[in-house]
Amino acid sequence: MNKLRRASQGLFLVIFLALFLSTESTGEDELGYPVKIFLELDPLVFLVTLLSNHTIVKDLFLLSMITVGLTLLFGRVFCGWVCPMGTLNSMVGFKTERRWRDWHRVKYYILIFILGSSIFKLQIAGLLDPISLLIRSLSIGINPPFNSTIHSLFETISYMQAPLVTGITEWIYSVLKETVLSFSEPVFRQEIFIGFIFIGILALNLLERRFWCNNLCPLGALLGVISRFSLLKRFASDRCTRCGLCDKVCSGRAEPHKMELWRKAECVYCFNCEGVCPEEAVHFVLKGEGKVMGLDLSRRRFLISAMAGIVVVPFIRSEPLRKNPNPVLIRPPGALSEEEFLRRCIRCGECMKVCITNGLQPTLLEAGLEGLWTPLLVPRLGHCEYRCTLCGQVCPTGAIKRLTLEEKVEVRIGLAFIDKDRCLPYAYNRECIVCEEVCPTPKKAIWLKEADVKERGGGVRRLRQPVVDPELCIGCGICETKCPVVDMPAIYITSIGESRSKENQILLP
Amino acid sequence: MKRREFLKRAGLLGLSLALDGKLGSVSASVSPDIAVAEGSSPEAITTQAISALGGIRRFISRGDIVVVKPNMAFDRLPQHAANTNPEVVATVVRLCLLAGAKKVKVFDRTVNDPRRCYIQSGIKEAVEDAGAEVSYIDERRFVDVEIKGSVIKKWPIYKDVLEADRLINVPVAKHHGLTRLTMAMKNLMGIIGGSRRLWHQHINEALVDLASVIKPALTVLDAVRILIANGPQGGDLKDVRRLNTVIVGAEQIAVDAYGATLFGMKGEDIKYLRLAEKMGLGRIDIENLSIKHIKS
Repeated sequence: MNKLRRASQGLFLVIFLALFLSTESTGEDELGYPVKIFLELDPLVFLVTLLSNHTIVKDLFLLSMITVGLTLLFGRVFCGWVCPMGTLNSMVGFKTERRWRDWHRVKYYILIFILGSSIFKLQIAGLLDPISLLIRSLSIGINPPFNSTIHSLFETISYMQAPLVTGITEWIYSVLKETVLSFSEPVFRQEIFIGFIFIGILALNLLERRFWCNNLCPLGALLGVISRFSLLKRFASDRCTRCGLCDKVCSGRAEPHKMELWRKAECVYCFNCEGVCPEEAVHFVLKGEGKVMGLDLSRRRFLISAMAGIVVVPFIRSEPLRKNPNPVLIRPPGALSEEEFLRRCIRCGECMKVCITNGLQPTLLEAGLEGLWTPLLVPRLGHCEYRCTLCGQVCPTGAIKRLTLEEKVEVRIGLAFIDKDRCLPYAYNRECIVCEEVCPTPKKAIWLKEADVKERGGGVRRLRQPVVDPELCIGCGICETKCPVVDMPAIYITSIGESRSKENQILLP
Repeated sequence: MKRREFLKRAGLLGLSLALDGKLGSVSASVSPDIAVAEGSSPEAITTQAISALGGIRRFISRGDIVVVKPNMAFDRLPQHAANTNPEVVATVVRLCLLAGAKKVKVFDRTVNDPRRCYIQSGIKEAVEDAGAEVSYIDERRFVDVEIKGSVIKKWPIYKDVLEADRLINVPVAKHHGLTRLTMAMKNLMGIIGGSRRLWHQHINEALVDLASVIKPALTVLDAVRILIANGPQGGDLKDVRRLNTVIVGAEQIAVDAYGATLFGMKGEDIKYLRLAEKMGLGRIDIENLSIKHIKS
């Protein structure tokens, strides 16, 4: 059985990674792959979206119920057989035989904390939800250095100009480009920060195999709670000699050697104990009755966690941002109003991975502490491509609405302003108007004003100066991205005028 | 492609090759400066116009590596007339391959995301069907070229263009805010690297500098649809006019000068064309050129 389990883990990890790599534009309007399916299979994402925003996202509900159903039948098989984060942890920790202190209850307290704050409409589950954490970490922290390593390696070789060698390496390079590399080298703010947290989590496997899964994972905890009622149970026959081998190989903290004190909620059904038993005394049987260990949480800690989750809400919420919108907080097109957006966004980073220009970046404090690692558009790094709707296609919770092309081009995410002290035709009497050229609205939101300017020698010169039409500008930011004043652009976007906000407006409605 | 369509197409192209240089008793030596073909099929008019100019074999030799440079800089559909008509580009590719070209390469340094530009313009699919090799720009393949022009002294140009035996410029005729019109000369901005947005400060002089070092063997100006306002991207079908016309010539400046007339202008109205003529890069006095009109 444990061979079959490994095959399943491998298969799901490969599917996960393939979908991760496919979270990228092909040039078509539709992405064409179910890239968010692992998030939709995640009942924690479903539950917190339900609690914090009182919404049921259909696909999320249907698919996460598959996981709940599986757990009711077979226990935490999702953790042991499917979860790509679990698989990565198993792989990194495969040699670790040590055990950390008995911290397995911590994850339940984390879960309670998260649910407590969710009830008061604070959505922080995504920070620790394993699927969100994994996709975010890979997108922002791992994929960029992976790409830059490969690129610089092959580019170094190609500059050596060794004909025979580069012929082969260029071929390998082109194959890699077609398969695992991103279309263009991604860059992200906080890359090193988010990457190191992830590497740190994987490194915990040196303290204990699957440290994350056993001690911290709130999804593992949720499935552990559900697995209380599951049918697949472990039995040890009379042949058991209490040799304790099963405990040594246990992937979780299930204490199989304690026989009827076996902690069912900690078992990830890896079947290692069954495989290792020299007496073949261990069996897993689908059976309704039979006593199993409860969760054994302390009532005091349970209450403290729940209270902490609730109390943290006003502390995080008391933010000056609630009084005045942040000009740099340009949300992706289709993002819900800020309050609802924060209640739904699980920080999985799918939108940032898929963003065609790499303009979507993780926030640090731009949206307050509550909004940590949610997406914002940084037009200097990449604009919002006029006819692209990918971010809404990959968002698992609907924090970014799925827009049709017709809807998308109507959505305003901000407004352009010209800095006349830096704009070449204004500041230096030079022709330019790159912003007008790239402006994508069918009737250009940037128009050209003819101006007679005095020249140094005394003459007068006629040139064209750009003017923004606030009625037409949708704030896509391509003008800022392409402005030739590259260090600090002469035209820039702020969030005012965004369709999703009632208050952050500049024009009469 | 359906079989019937294929046979029709093969017949048309074969005929054009057979008639190359013979059509209307025009021989290569006295072929017109410009050929203008009008008709409802972009493929047919492209073929006819090139035939009238003396045929593709006048420009392409067996074994040539050819770069066909369309305008596919924008994430727009063919009906928006922001990019070259895919059928026109594909027809040029087919003719080159029929004339024995070893390889036909198609690429553009786009303004919008390259993947969307290549796909949404319809050009990638059309020219791949026709047998061209389509690639995205590889930033490592730009080579510094001494231009020694009036404003551009040295600039990176795409290696594939420099190494090709022949370059065929296949622009679309469009309105442009800064230069008034963008056609062939402006289309060559798609082969340069570096921060080309700096060119806008002296766009007319810069375009002439580029034209003095990069000389396409043949220019095929697509005016199947033209964009008359809000260029070079457009987006509003009200700004598009369907002219069902293709203009070809060996001199890109002359082709551009003819193109200006489609917008009710003359070559002299476009500053970069005036400058180019002054530099001796080509003629814009189209009334003195021999122009062959074909209507189908």
